[in-house]
Amino acid sequence: MTILQLKNVYKSFGKLEVIKDLSFSVEEHSVFGFIGKNGAGKTTTMKMILGFLRPDSGEIYVCGERVSYGNTKTNRHIGYLPDVPEFYGYMNPKEYLKFCGDITGLPREITLARTKELLSMVGLENTNRRIRGFSRGMKQRLGIAQALLNEPKLLICDEPTSALDPIGRKEILDILSVARTRTTIVFSTHILSDVERIADTIGVIDQGKLMLEGSVQKIKNMRRKDTIQILLSSPETAKELAEKVKELPFVIESEFEMDTVLIKLTNAEEYGKEIMSLLVRENIPVLRYEILEPSLENVFLEVVG
Amino acid sequence: MKRYVAFTKKEFLEQLRTYRMLILFSVFFIFGLMSPLLAKILPEILSGMDLQGMIITIPEATAVDAYAQFFKNMTQMGIIVILLVFGGVISNELTRGTLVNVLAKGLGRHTVILAKYTAMVVMWTVALVFSGLINQGYTMYLFDTSDISNLIFSILCLWLFGVYLLSLIILSSVLAVGSFGGLILTVVVLGGLLLLDLFPKLEKVNPIYLSSRNMDFITGVLTPSDALLPVLITVILILANISASIVLFNRKRL
Amino acid sequence: MNQIIEYLPFIIPIIAVEFILMIVSLVHMLKHKKFRFGNQAMWIIIVVFVQIIGPILYFTIGRGEE
Repeated sequence: MTILQLKNVYKSFGKLEVIKDLSFSVEEHSVFGFIGKNGAGKTTTMKMILGFLRPDSGEIYVCGERVSYGNTKTNRHIGYLPDVPEFYGYMNPKEYLKFCGDITGLPREITLARTKELLSMVGLENTNRRIRGFSRGMKQRLGIAQALLNEPKLLICDEPTSALDPIGRKEILDILSVARTRTTIVFSTHILSDVERIADTIGVIDQGKLMLEGSVQKIKNMRRKDTIQILLSSPETAKELAEKVKELPFVIESEFEMDTVLIKLTNAEEYGKEIMSLLVRENIPVLRYEILEPSLENVFLEVVG
Repeated sequence: MKRYVAFTKKEFLEQLRTYRMLILFSVFFIFGLMSPLLAKILPEILSGMDLQGMIITIPEATAVDAYAQFFKNMTQMGIIVILLVFGGVISNELTRGTLVNVLAKGLGRHTVILAKYTAMVVMWTVALVFSGLINQGYTMYLFDTSDISNLIFSILCLWLFGVYLLSLIILSSVLAVGSFGGLILTVVVLGGLLLLDLFPKLEKVNPIYLSSRNMDFITGVLTPSDALLPVLITVILILANISASIVLFNRKRL
Repeated sequence: MNQIIEYLPFIIPIIAVEFILMIVSLVHMLKHKKFRFGNQAMWIIIVVFVQIIGPILYFTIGRGEE
């Protein structure tokens, strides 16, 4: 089942075109990583899905229902974690979740049961002080709890990890990994390692256009530009090797830094032996020879560059 | 309905825990108490002053003077306190972004406006009744209140003016931006209404009438039937302000 | 003396309210120590010496964001 679908969405602020012909869809029980630089249009897209902004043209569907601007009914399917979630500082986490349950019309017993479960999932079960003294990470965790309270079909997280320190980031990613078992997740980020950790499918957005879409594995393989890293005994030999391999037809690029040579080529497994035979022929002593895994970062830089 | 009640309860909790309720009730308590006291002791202080042999005769204060003090306090300091206590009810949430979570859960925007307005009106009503009762008690303690007419009606007029003022705060906060934009716009509109009140032909189509002629009802110069048009106009303006707030808030970009 | 007794029902509640407002603002101030403008010493002076108005100003415009 398709949980979220965007069809030819356009949005501009004044003369600035922020979103240009954006179309993509997210299937049930998947984790969709929405990747882009700052200002690429990620937050704008999320706000349009929530009906907080009106698209200039195009259609957005959540669980098959069309999103309308302003008061949208589709929000009852959605749990939303803003990039910097803000709460009523004079409440404690339990009071806040009870309030959230009441305004979504959840029966009191269900709210209480889920509050207990969610607070222990995000590690705030013993925090009874008021929210005003919370750290960024604690607010983010409470944000996930409130977003999951009414068991939404779709959880939208806007840059859930970018404002956090490494420990806070790991905590949030762990919580999202747990949350994926019960809902579909769309999250935006510019941190690629986060995407590699939890996303199944990704969409890369740049200057308001979707540049790439598909499963993480497929995208990594599709844009296959392999890199071989060779560690040599001295910077001189590294320089020599870097220049020699440039003449080979299958090498796209080669560079060296100190005693390490990086060779970019079309297929490392097939042409790797030719590099090796070159090393033997020229009698160059090798300390380490390594084929680097294709990373999303390389793909991202290639696409967005 | 359940959602509306839940949000209204949250508003009361907010007023309580941010100390705004404490302030409102303390000030209104002091108004109720000080008004008769000031009416009583001002002539005594004045007559006790030695103005270089000048003799000023000041008539003995009566209950009318106590009510005059009460309405003066309410329509001056009282309005300022109302603006300070309720001025940020919407602006604070918009500037801090606390409504984002709430609206993303599908709570209707009209529910937010109506719940906030309900909480404000209830607080104003309770505070006014509280202040009025204290004022009444102390006035009866100090003075003879037999020649007072239309007291309840006069206070009702003041109440309706307050209800209008609160609707104006809501509309201004939806229209203006920033923490104090709504407050400033409300003050500007109030200033405009005060200017209009200077034209005798327009005085009856102006809500200010309900906050400036209170003593004329008490002394019997005006009768309740004189206030028919201003009451009607004010009720229409209140409904218009709230409807406009809902329509505009529905379209507001968050 | 008679006059003072006559006005006691006024004086006692007023002093009580002033006192409550002052204590509540001082406690809040010492617990949070955040101000939208000015510093703690300034606000202590305002709250203690400007009766009623001082605490109102503190709670409505003086205290810091949560």
